[in-house]
Amino acid sequence: MRRLALLLATVAAIATGCGSSNDNGGGGGTNTASGPDLSKPGEGQLNVVAWEGYTDPSFVKPFEKQTGCKVNAVYAGSSDEMFTKFRSGGGGQYDLVTPSGDASLRLIRSGAVAPLDISKLENHNDLAPQLKSPSFNTVGGKHYGISFMWGANVLIYNKDKVKPAPDSWSVLYDPKYKGKITVPDNPIQIADVALQFGGAQDPYSIDQATLDKARAKLMQQRPLVRKYWVLATDFEQLFKSGDAVVGAGWPLMTQDLRKAGMNVGEVLPKEGVTGWSDSWMISNKAKHPICAYKWMNYVTSPKVQAQVADVTGYSPPNLKTCEVVGPQRCKDLHIRDSKYYDTIKYWKTPTSPTNYRQWTDTWAQVRG
Amino acid sequence: MDGYLGAGQRLIGGASRRALPWRASRFLYAHPRGRLALLLGPGVLWLLVFYLVALFLLLLTSLWQQDVFTAELVHRWTLSNYTKIFSGQDGLWLRVFGRTILLAAIVTVMDIALAFPLAWFMARVAPPRWRTLLFLAVVVPLWSSILVRIFAWRTILGSSGVLNSMLQEIGILSHPSSAFLYNEKAIAITWAYVWLPFMVLPIFTALEKIPDSYLEASRDLGAGSWTTFKRVIFPLAVPGVIAGSIFVFSLTMGDFVAPQLVGGGSQVLGGAIKDRFGVAADYPFGAALAMLTLLTLTVFLTITSRAGAKESL
Repeated sequence: MRRLALLLATVAAIATGCGSSNDNGGGGGTNTASGPDLSKPGEGQLNVVAWEGYTDPSFVKPFEKQTGCKVNAVYAGSSDEMFTKFRSGGGGQYDLVTPSGDASLRLIRSGAVAPLDISKLENHNDLAPQLKSPSFNTVGGKHYGISFMWGANVLIYNKDKVKPAPDSWSVLYDPKYKGKITVPDNPIQIADVALQFGGAQDPYSIDQATLDKARAKLMQQRPLVRKYWVLATDFEQLFKSGDAVVGAGWPLMTQDLRKAGMNVGEVLPKEGVTGWSDSWMISNKAKHPICAYKWMNYVTSPKVQAQVADVTGYSPPNLKTCEVVGPQRCKDLHIRDSKYYDTIKYWKTPTSPTNYRQWTDTWAQVRG
Repeated sequence: MDGYLGAGQRLIGGASRRALPWRASRFLYAHPRGRLALLLGPGVLWLLVFYLVALFLLLLTSLWQQDVFTAELVHRWTLSNYTKIFSGQDGLWLRVFGRTILLAAIVTVMDIALAFPLAWFMARVAPPRWRTLLFLAVVVPLWSSILVRIFAWRTILGSSGVLNSMLQEIGILSHPSSAFLYNEKAIAITWAYVWLPFMVLPIFTALEKIPDSYLEASRDLGAGSWTTFKRVIFPLAVPGVIAGSIFVFSLTMGDFVAPQLVGGGSQVLGGAIKDRFGVAADYPFGAALAMLTLLTLTVFLTITSRAGAKESL
């Protein structure tokens, strides 16, 4: 018995030791970031955790041919999943990640990502002014990420089944569509309710009373929901099989469903929208930094930005993309429209008055 | 002469080559403890490192706190993860726990009801060639990915699925029903299907072992079919039923794939644990839920091993 106790104590010591070695970083500054020598050939591989649509073969294949860097992507369905996947196994498994604003600061603070060498990022100067050093990826003057696509969480509906065309989020609470509604399985969804029905100015900093009200509203919605979707492909599958006819999603799904021949509509409802603004960030244990920098330069270049926009329906940050896509598409994608950019309430991690753990707990209660 | 010397050298060389294994084998013969260590050592070491140590780390994690923003573990002791299970959030986690146990029990009973007649047919009725075919039919699905088998149920139960179109075809439904998929019923049906082989095989083994003479004796003594089943066959099949129940119940308690693919909003324990570790990065609470599962299974195994399941496992 004593020997067993000794063994367990040893294990505890090892565990504690391992744990505390993770506490370094935390955004603490030691280094002036200096990127790798990009004139050298790439390492042959690039491992990324990304949102669906961000590593579409249409632009990944030419990159692989051009640089010899094979892109291995895994997808995440939510910012939480992206954060957790990227840090799994000590954080050395992946080179790059594409967090939205509600994961980027968590990654910086937990020391999982390294500052970028902006001098090696050739498209940084062409980004929209508000996306050059946004607070969600730049901390203390250090750029931990280069801004990527942004957009709004939209209402998507099957035009053949939902009539008249909805212009309000209230359609997601309408008993008329009981069992035909799908919404994200994501605690950040609480912000949508706070914005749309609680009138919150900043839906990411709400008090307990507003959180309780949001929960009541979501509980009321729950029996109407066919399925809480996790991945974009889940959402698309629900629409294709007819299991859902209306739901909250991303423009990517509208693009994909239309490509599949479905008659779907997409609206920005009158109550306002939440959204996301993403960044590419590099792991502080990245094994393929040359490929990573080459990739970041590649996907932020005007031509590839246009391709990503075609695949996803999201807006690119590089202003020069307009020269590739022409004036009409430039306007549709709001590329130069910083006023439009400011109308979206971008995802960020709630910290006070209610913190994110309270949000995830509330969401677990809604799920039941 | 040369030949003789050569043979002698070979003989000596052979002996020295044999020396080490020979000495080792003599040592092991003389020392039963050394023998035991050599036989059990690798397996025990493996279990110790990858199982016991991992479990112990899980226990530690469940007693630690966490920084909500960075998800870093804070090594300060707390029981709050356990109090959250038992009294937090208006009893949410107790409801999830209860739902999971109930589902596991229902699935186990469903599988016993489905597997017993099949196992009986395979073991006692079917001619040998049929038996092989049936055996394959039960086992072959296990060779395919569990994901594929669960997806199959999605296409069967969905709004435009096989079941709905069939019911519409024969006029029972006028429009597709959404009652079959994305709820607990769908989870139960899917689990009952994917775990069925784990119930059929142990029951088959138990039934096959019953000597014909027992059944003849029962009949000779005037027992009807029902009495024979109740008094002779079933008691002898019980260890098989219990062994199968252990498999099915344990697999059900931990699975998160079926709930994610065919389940609705309601959470089950496996899915909740997977979400804590894979999505929410709430490791301490996930670990506490995992300890709860472990405890439940330990209790279940204790009860069933008292009922004498071990010899059939």
